[in-house]
Amino acid sequence: MKTFIKVTEIWVPNKQRTQLEFSSGLYGGLVEFKAASEQQQFAYNEGLPGKAWAEGRPLVLKEFAQSYFKRTAAAKKAGLTCGIAIPVFSGDFLLAVVVFLCADDEHHAGAIEVWSNQDSSKQSLKVIDGYYGSLHYFEQISRDISVAKDQGLAGLAWAQGLPVLIDDISKADAFIRAHDAKQAGITMGISIPVSDHLNSSYVMTFLSAKATPLAKRIQIWVPDSQGEQLICLEGYSKNPNELAQLFEATTVTKGVGALGRVWLTGMPVITGDDDADYNPELASLNTMLAIPVIEQGRLKAIVSFLF
Amino acid sequence: MNRLNVLLIESDPTCGFMENALIAEGFKCLKSHYDPSFLALIKQITPDMLIFNLQSPSKKLLADLQTQQKLSAIPVIMFATDDNSDTIHQVIKAEVCVYIVNGLDVKRLNSIVSVAIARFKHNQALKQELDEAVAKLEDRKLIDRAKAILIKTQNFTEDEAYHTLRKLAMDRHISLGEMAKNVLVMSELFK
Repeated sequence: MKTFIKVTEIWVPNKQRTQLEFSSGLYGGLVEFKAASEQQQFAYNEGLPGKAWAEGRPLVLKEFAQSYFKRTAAAKKAGLTCGIAIPVFSGDFLLAVVVFLCADDEHHAGAIEVWSNQDSSKQSLKVIDGYYGSLHYFEQISRDISVAKDQGLAGLAWAQGLPVLIDDISKADAFIRAHDAKQAGITMGISIPVSDHLNSSYVMTFLSAKATPLAKRIQIWVPDSQGEQLICLEGYSKNPNELAQLFEATTVTKGVGALGRVWLTGMPVITGDDDADYNPELASLNTMLAIPVIEQGRLKAIVSFLF
Repeated sequence: MNRLNVLLIESDPTCGFMENALIAEGFKCLKSHYDPSFLALIKQITPDMLIFNLQSPSKKLLADLQTQQKLSAIPVIMFATDDNSDTIHQVIKAEVCVYIVNGLDVKRLNSIVSVAIARFKHNQALKQELDEAVAKLEDRKLIDRAKAILIKTQNFTEDEAYHTLRKLAMDRHISLGEMAKNVLVMSELFK
């Protein structure tokens, strides 16, 4: 199964907290790009991760050539054409930057959007940045609309302060672009509030098609009402996965296991064996990226992408 | 009539005795000498059998033979003059089926080839059985580990863990061992 995202990285501040250094990454077979990345460091406002740190918001970079992107030659060689950087803040202070890199592929249908309430009233969200691949019409529609709190995928996530996942977007009343999404081949979407930094709110939406899903499985974990355990609110994959469901039926204690560490530290994590051979018959889930959703210094949710 | 493809490796390039005997017995025979391209030659001509006629096999030759047997096993006969027990030990390790010291008698050639093929087949069958037994043992270990994970994370009894594992495997049309691997990988992700 081809997934929409080709490379996933976590960049974290160094000991002096003045530069971002490589923490972990999933590169599939892109070994040269991996080697080029592991040695990199980014200062504040330098490169894609450094820029996301400085701007305090998610960034989408659709063209690497003649941009602030630092690994252009290696990315070009690896066929990577688009980058998304999501900073994880606790208050004013950066904990990490998650970077996704995608390849232009005419067979995929998907989009990644950054929504923000940057209008004067601050009461509605508009797309301020986005990657739509070949979905030009859908891009035009998306950039023209604005959504209020509780409206549409992004508006719901903004209102609830929680990630929202819609597994059949074409039939969802809540998704106001349902008809256009269906025409564009988009089937599922997840919306994640990423920061309410510098008096603006930002929400990321990831929209993908069945043939090239965002990840093999996506889970949303939230603290229970007592704030003692994490429980899985939702798990989604193209095909049912009873094994994943078994693990989603368990609870997670703070500090225990990968998700427990995300809760304890507020830091995103990558786990699993990137080098393991993929067996399509087993549809095995070899690797995981877990991103915390933090609001006012408290963990609201964890979104895990299983690849 | 034998139509086996034999690669004959002789240390004496002028000696045509063995080659002629093989051809007379109906074998298709290609004669060569041992050099660094030995493995490449085997890959190219894919013989049914290797026959060596030399004084003593070098360490390099035996190492190459071991490599070849791991890649794609074929019957091997070796005629030599070296009866040193260490050499014999190394020859057996290189999976030579028949090692004959000072005994080149063309009248026995056909029966030696027959013995070599029979021993090769027998060894291959034993090897396959061993491989299967090892794989079963490995599967058993994986299944026990997966069961332990399910017991710990799901509060299952041992019976419930086993039946869950079996149902998951059946639903996916894969073996219990493969399913156990999946459980282990999944638990690693959340570790």
